[in-house]
Amino acid sequence: MIWRQALIIGTFILGAVLIELTVLTRLGIPGATPDLVVVTVVAIALAMGPVQGAVAGFSAGVLVDLAPPGDTLVGVNAIVYVAIGFVTGYAVDPRDRTVPVMMGMTGLATGAAVLLISGLDTLLGSDRVDWEQVPELTLSSALYGILLAPALILGVAWVVRKATPEVLVE
Amino acid sequence: MFSRRTRFLLAILVVASLTFVILDLRGGEGPFASVRAVGANVLGGLERAAATVFSPITGAGSWWSTMRDQSGQITDLTREKQALRSELEQLTNDKARAAALDGLLKVASVGQYRFVPAEVIAIGPVQDFSWTVTIDAGRNDGIEQDMSVINGAGLVGRVLKTTASTSTVVLIVDQGSAVGGRIAGTGEIGIVSGTGSQETLEFELLDPLADVRVGDALVTFGSKGGRPYAPGLPIGQVVEVQGKGGQLTRTAIVAPFADMSQLSIVGVVTKPPREDPRDSVLPALDDLSIVPTPAPLGGADEGAGASDEAVDSEPAATQAPEEETAAVPVEEDEQ
Repeated sequence: MIWRQALIIGTFILGAVLIELTVLTRLGIPGATPDLVVVTVVAIALAMGPVQGAVAGFSAGVLVDLAPPGDTLVGVNAIVYVAIGFVTGYAVDPRDRTVPVMMGMTGLATGAAVLLISGLDTLLGSDRVDWEQVPELTLSSALYGILLAPALILGVAWVVRKATPEVLVE
Repeated sequence: MFSRRTRFLLAILVVASLTFVILDLRGGEGPFASVRAVGANVLGGLERAAATVFSPITGAGSWWSTMRDQSGQITDLTREKQALRSELEQLTNDKARAAALDGLLKVASVGQYRFVPAEVIAIGPVQDFSWTVTIDAGRNDGIEQDMSVINGAGLVGRVLKTTASTSTVVLIVDQGSAVGGRIAGTGEIGIVSGTGSQETLEFELLDPLADVRVGDALVTFGSKGGRPYAPGLPIGQVVEVQGKGGQLTRTAIVAPFADMSQLSIVGVVTKPPREDPRDSVLPALDDLSIVPTPAPLGGADEGAGASDEAVDSEPAATQAPEEETAAVPVEEDEQ
């Protein structure tokens, strides 16, 4: 059963990374690029639990860092996404999981991802981060996260219920 | 608070991430570089496949920015039947590609560059603060590190990394990018660096007394062996001059000729011309948005020392007289 869980996590994460890098980045949407990867990590964490969320976050982070044209430090995204996957899976009591609460969680997660990654990059000595743009990017990323959340969270939960009902958090 | 297994797993994930960061921070060609290369190779292949699958969506280009001024066109199109409409979309798409390739060919034939055409298949997220794109040509197509990348309008960037079938290109608007630039006509040289914004570059003149005016066009200065930048490629046009003559540093704001937000077909210069094409590749002056004010010719001190690898230059080559360049016979392209 653990292999089936791994397969679900892997498929969703790989799909999200590829769609984000080849489709979402070129739509020319104003503000940040919609962070499909983080939303998928949050959706997995909410459907399967904090541990699976952390694993999903780790694999997503490493994939995003390794995939061309990424030119940032490998591991920075991974550590932030591990935290996001674990915390979102743990923080919300399963009984409180209404759609608005989950949308809010996702918005917080995508916003926090921009802030944490920018902060970590700066701490590690990268001078790329333009802090004047960070507030705008954080807000727009949070907004796009909220918009992407319902479909993805319900979709992932549906697949998990069908494929591995034993881990579904309800 | 958590079970032992959970704590153990979390610790492993965090330690693994930190190990990656530390190994990557060390840089260089360690064992981690090859892991990274393998990862990039595999994911690059997947990105190529995904770009093909999603090409109906992305092929229409940047719909968000073009949709607003296309509403008129859309009302016309809705009158047409469904079949006709899809045919039309296909046609405009092909036309745009043909026009992009046409522009590339023009630049390449005037400047006698030899290039490999490629298409942009992935772009780095905005929140990464690095302007890099993936193109669908790699080592198998003869692409090597540090080759110049152009499109029909001018210089786009240089090749940062290659895999077998894809390459990563860092655009000239990236904050870390520095290009040796020369003002067309006067020969004043300086360093054009990216600002992180898509529309502006910063041009820092080496000679503080140099004469630079709004409307001046910039071309690449060229590096030794044409890497990382081949000589004579159009970079952009000065839109604003900062600082007065005689100040310690003089900078100008430059708008790049190539539209970085609408990159689709690009060319990778695999072989620069034998002679510096000087200013011949620049678009005709009346095509430029701002007409340059006439600037005095000559008198420029070109012996200024190169301060960066990117401007590692050959003053002798760039000072070759115009007649000599013009006299060079057009090189036949090997098929």
